[in-house]
Amino acid sequence: MKQPKLWWFLSTPQLLLDEQLSLQSQEQQQQPQVLCSSEGQRGPYVVQANAAAHAAGIRLGMPAVSASTLVPELRQRDYDAKREAAVLHRLAQWLYQDIAHIALYPPQGLLLEVQHLQLLYGGYQGVQQQLQRRLRRLAVNVVLAAGYNPLVARILAQSGCSLLSAEREQLQAALARVSIASSLLPAQQQQQLQDAGIVQLGDLLRLPVSELGARFGRAMISYVAQLRGELCPPQQYFEPPAKFRERLDLLTEVASWQQLLFPLRRLLQQLEAFLQSRQLSVTAFVLLAHHRKETPTRVRIAFALPLWRSRDMQQLVQLQLERQRLTTPALELSLHADEFSERQASTSNWFPNKQDVHYRQQEERQLQRLFGKLQARLGEAAVQQAQALTDWRPEAAQSWQAGAEPALSAKPEVTLPRPVWLLSEVEPITIQDWQLHWGPERIQSGWWDGHPVDRDYFIAIDSEQRQGWIFKSQGAWYLHGWFS
Amino acid sequence: MAGSANTAVQWRPSALNCITNYSFLHGAAHPHEYIERAEQLQYRSLAITDECSVAGVVRAFVAMKGLTTTAPDGGLQLLIGSFFVVPEVGTLIVIAQSRQGYGQLCRLISLARSRCAKGSYQVTIDDVLQGLDDCLLLWRPQAKCFSEQVTKLQKAFPERLWLAYTRHYQASDVSEVRNYQRYHQMSQLPVVAVDEVLYPTPERQPLHDVMTAIRHRQKVADVRAELRPNAEHYLRSAAELQRCYPQQWLHEADAIVRRCQFKLSELSYEYPAELVPAGLSASDYLRQLAYAGAKQRFPDGLRSDVQAKLEKELSLIAELKYDYFFLTIHDIVQFAQQRGILYQGRGSAANSVVCYCLQITAVNPDQIDVLFERFISKERDEPPDIDVDFEHQRREEVIQYIYQKYGRDRAALAATVIRYRLRSAFRDVGKALGFNEQELGHYLRQIDRRDQDTPWYEQLVALQQGLPQTERGRWLLQLTEQLRGFPRHLSQHVGGFVIAAGPLADLVPIEHASMADRTVIQWDKDDLETLKLIKVDVLALGMLSALRKMMQLVSEHYQRPLELATIPTEDPKVYTMLQRADSVGVFQIESRAQMNMLPRLRPSTFYDLVVQIAIVRPGPIQGDMVHPYLRRRAGEEAVTYPSEEVRQVTERTLGVPIFQEQVIKLAMVAAGFSGGEADQLRRAMANWRSTGELQQFETKLISGMRERGYSLDFAQRIYQQICGFGEYGFPESHSASFANLAYASAWFKYHYPAAFYCALLNSLPMGFYSADQLLQDARRHHLTVLPVDIQVSCWSHQLVPMQTGYAIRLGLRLIKGLAREQVEAVLDQRPVTGFATLQQLRQAGASPALLQRLAAADALQKISGHRYQSQWQALAVKAEQLPLFSAIESGATETPPEQQLPRPTEVREIAADYRVLGTSTRRHPVALLREQQLLRGVRTAAELASCRHQQVVCVAGLVTCRQRPGTAGGVTFITLEDETGMVNVVIWQATARAQRQAYLTAQLLKVYGKVEIHGELVHVIAGRLEDGAPLLAELELQANRSRDFH
Repeated sequence: MKQPKLWWFLSTPQLLLDEQLSLQSQEQQQQPQVLCSSEGQRGPYVVQANAAAHAAGIRLGMPAVSASTLVPELRQRDYDAKREAAVLHRLAQWLYQDIAHIALYPPQGLLLEVQHLQLLYGGYQGVQQQLQRRLRRLAVNVVLAAGYNPLVARILAQSGCSLLSAEREQLQAALARVSIASSLLPAQQQQQLQDAGIVQLGDLLRLPVSELGARFGRAMISYVAQLRGELCPPQQYFEPPAKFRERLDLLTEVASWQQLLFPLRRLLQQLEAFLQSRQLSVTAFVLLAHHRKETPTRVRIAFALPLWRSRDMQQLVQLQLERQRLTTPALELSLHADEFSERQASTSNWFPNKQDVHYRQQEERQLQRLFGKLQARLGEAAVQQAQALTDWRPEAAQSWQAGAEPALSAKPEVTLPRPVWLLSEVEPITIQDWQLHWGPERIQSGWWDGHPVDRDYFIAIDSEQRQGWIFKSQGAWYLHGWFS
Repeated sequence: MAGSANTAVQWRPSALNCITNYSFLHGAAHPHEYIERAEQLQYRSLAITDECSVAGVVRAFVAMKGLTTTAPDGGLQLLIGSFFVVPEVGTLIVIAQSRQGYGQLCRLISLARSRCAKGSYQVTIDDVLQGLDDCLLLWRPQAKCFSEQVTKLQKAFPERLWLAYTRHYQASDVSEVRNYQRYHQMSQLPVVAVDEVLYPTPERQPLHDVMTAIRHRQKVADVRAELRPNAEHYLRSAAELQRCYPQQWLHEADAIVRRCQFKLSELSYEYPAELVPAGLSASDYLRQLAYAGAKQRFPDGLRSDVQAKLEKELSLIAELKYDYFFLTIHDIVQFAQQRGILYQGRGSAANSVVCYCLQITAVNPDQIDVLFERFISKERDEPPDIDVDFEHQRREEVIQYIYQKYGRDRAALAATVIRYRLRSAFRDVGKALGFNEQELGHYLRQIDRRDQDTPWYEQLVALQQGLPQTERGRWLLQLTEQLRGFPRHLSQHVGGFVIAAGPLADLVPIEHASMADRTVIQWDKDDLETLKLIKVDVLALGMLSALRKMMQLVSEHYQRPLELATIPTEDPKVYTMLQRADSVGVFQIESRAQMNMLPRLRPSTFYDLVVQIAIVRPGPIQGDMVHPYLRRRAGEEAVTYPSEEVRQVTERTLGVPIFQEQVIKLAMVAAGFSGGEADQLRRAMANWRSTGELQQFETKLISGMRERGYSLDFAQRIYQQICGFGEYGFPESHSASFANLAYASAWFKYHYPAAFYCALLNSLPMGFYSADQLLQDARRHHLTVLPVDIQVSCWSHQLVPMQTGYAIRLGLRLIKGLAREQVEAVLDQRPVTGFATLQQLRQAGASPALLQRLAAADALQKISGHRYQSQWQALAVKAEQLPLFSAIESGATETPPEQQLPRPTEVREIAADYRVLGTSTRRHPVALLREQQLLRGVRTAAELASCRHQQVVCVAGLVTCRQRPGTAGGVTFITLEDETGMVNVVIWQATARAQRQAYLTAQLLKVYGKVEIHGELVHVIAGRLEDGAPLLAELELQANRSRDFH
């Protein structure tokens, strides 16, 4: 007889907090800390709390204000379901090493199909041990429950019932004791059931399905059928993110990278198709030239900006390969890519004034290309972007930032009389050597960051008729730049 | 200075564009700070010119009055103006030359504000070209548009237009000066040097930067482009100005100042004339009305002494020309009377024979004779103060009447200036400095606002020593302190109306309030008072609604028509009840603190109630006046007076000052304050929380009293009392009006308790107690309370006759989340015999949701059985009636026998009652615990009185009130309720701290402690607290267990 299916559900009721705790020192972990959610109308309330917080009397659902009154030294952070879902994704990836069929129930649960595994591990106990070995390394709080149906396992686990039994009767008995509040039914229906005195799933399962259906509709009928194990909706199983691995036979031996460019185009087109279907961009990949005997030559190609068009990649690869040498002839070429990023609408402020969106996008693309080209030729660190910060203090008014992300640029509204050449260090001067031409421009600013200035700037001419930018501060005079 | 003697007569500068903090988050100075600084620097004049506003000018005017030094060639002159940013034109500074010009400016501001939502404005060039004939215009042109606009402006402002050149040592100075020279050559317009003043001294620059950041809701570091490059926007000295500007441009300001004559004191106010019939003078008409009213109020004729008082009042009113004020209020209360809206006047002028005769108040002057003297203070020349409270549910009708009668251009609400308080200032400054929300919240929690003795920053520094060690932390402390008390925005006063004879906008600008259809003026009540403009306060009071309902019920069910003025006075049985602290629901004396005072003060006359209401307030408590008064009243201490003057002021309160008026009067007679100073003191009290103004009076008060031979202790207590009043001012006149309502409600509670509770319940939300607490109290008074029932309940609670007296039938309004209209529509169709089925209810218009709600409230009992069964049936009633279809689909119509659900246990019933109704007519939950043997050894509230003093006991009950009164030091009061009554628990801070969790979060609390019995006062001093949650869980568990056997 075919063995009945069995699922396990892994519930991680404080996944995000657990992950944050794992990054803290032992001492920090002992501090009472909670995550608060602001969803709903009543203001922020506690959704996850560590052991120290529980010990101090903090309860889940408690308003954040009460919690901090109760424990004044409480650390509060905002709960973020998206981040928690990302952690869950990583958890799934981690468990995927042992378990092939994992379904994600974000933000806090994983459904595991286990009955195939027991053969592998010699029974459920073996599976459990393996799973626990994996989980121990993560220091994450879990509730693990079994079910003859995915929904049963999920309800048991999420209601906090750790029951890893394969016995249907045992599971059913436990299920009957689960309160309606943990039923996963819509909130309104939970209330309606409670108002009719139906407070546990056992009460619900005792009722005739027809009467339930008449009151709560088809969804309820299907829900009950799942609890009874009569219906099992298909699951969407987790797939680990794909990697791109393609190999290409070069029909003849090739002696230089330049000659590889043409065959490379095909690989890049395949990569484009791969990226396109997954809506991803690539930020770097590795080219391998395979030789007859020697270990393959590796060239890592990195882009300043995520790309996905083969044409764009081709150009940049070409530039980067110009600096590379191939010592031995190659027979095969392969491309390995696993550094991807989600594709998103680029929000750049490079052209804040141009109204035409299309034009802007084009312009932006050109600039990004130029940027990539420059980096390809000069190396990543050599290309920097000037940032206008608009601070009244001249030394803080401009700064340089390496890297490619176009940063906010403030409006260049007024044209200030500023020298072309600003000295990196101001030089003390003797004012008698100078003739004041224009000024003062008084700059008193910067009290907020510990570098306040209080200066009167002048444009002045020195004995050699050079126009300088000088200032007076606390009675002394300094040169700060040259106009010509 | 020896060297400066020879040149010319010393030139005195003028600041023509001062921006105060009434340009919200823009100017970094209080108006008075400019005045004081300008006086120090010997300025000739100073123009307060906020952005599209004159909200700050009255404060500057007050500061002008406080100046004592006068320069030889005349003192500082205050100009009134406002600036506007006009697109395509530039910045326009408008300054009023005369009263007419001021009216024109106000109209322009009103117009500009009326176009936009609250807080913003819009001005176009066309608005300026007309209607500013008596104003001067200073113009900072927008460079590109000069030639386009100059001709228009020149034509509209002949000889009244200047180019305003501004130099704050910026990079653009040189190009600007060239521009202005060019403008001048093109137009021949005179150029005047006008500083843009944003703060009095350069040290305020960081505050201004922070305010800029707050305005942009960003960090300072992120709005650097918006900050001013330097700290030059302060009031500069004559010498500094002379260094900065050409002399001719500086001196041009003198020509401007010379042409402005307007003073705010010229503003006077004309009352609406239509109130007086043709041919009569206002005072004749008032006299006529007063005597007509006297006939009603005193049917047996006026006693000669009362008539003498009436005459005295009438002549004083005529002399001070307040006739129209009284007529206006009379008109409003007449309207309320016609509509049957209950009201009562209060305030210093309300307790007068005139107001009693005009039916403005129902406080019989026979009862409170002493108040007449301070009716209107002639020597202090302050406007009379009358507030009128109306039923809270019907005040809107009165407001609409005022708008209708006088029109929206003649009536508007006074403003309330919302100011930065510690918390808001700390948060806003903190965010601007880059602290995050959590850090700031953490710091704020360290501050105990009730700690009066230690300033907040010292408290904070003591606990967070790291904070002042960082630069950012120091700025946070310093700038928060500076920002505190700054105005943040204008809001509407709760009900202060200003009504004028002509358009109000001639007097003060009007702008939108955030509430739709409400307009507010730009001044608040203090400003109005300064300028002696009168407002009429139309306020809302819940107790008046309740009292009207009590009178209706008594008239309807007991055939006894009553009015406030005809309720029998001085009924000893009523006072006996109050002396027992049996005052739940009684106006003003129902709070825990008042209840504690009742058995000690033992009020037995109306005036005792006046004192009772006023004594449990921060003023008398902080002044340590409560115990002396009680001792003297109990005869334990001799009634003595330190002087004859003090005797006159305090005789009626046994030599102990209790009321705010007494303290002010004492400042005059015992510390030598002049009438004007006393007036300032009174205002400072009202504002001191936000501005800290009171401290300046401390020395004067204490030394003044010491000089006159009073003890230091007495003087310090008086000062403490003043500070207390600052927190919550409470004058005798208000207390008297409140006492009247307190007595009336107590009278109903004693004589017609069913009507009393029923009316209170129907007026909720109001007062101190919830429906549940009122109902528990009603049941302790042996009233029967009947549950909600769809067959007999109405929307409101009702009285239903029983064999003996009346019971209260709860109304459906108690069910949370019901829409009144739907319910009433359904009830309209209720058959005499009640509804037969849920289907019938559905057909009467009850939605499925309503049916489910009714079932949850157990109101369908008589139709479909207990609440679970009813709910099960209600769930089967569909929104859309498709009987055929649903029968086919599920086979469940009403015909086949339904699933029978088990009946709920009592615990479940009670829990459901509380969830849906907030109360229950079933047993008290504590009674259930007791029955289940879960409270062995625990005393009931009723048993406590028979315990020994200091006996160790355990009590348990639901926590109905947690209170930490500001005046009680480190003590918290918790009120526990069980099935027999309330237990007052006193918890010392140390106990509370050690048992924080139970103390803060328990709903059911078990307390081990000692009984303290003082006369009728019974307390339990808590030793150990225990959260009762496990008991409730146990109860629930037992309920489950018993259910499983069904």
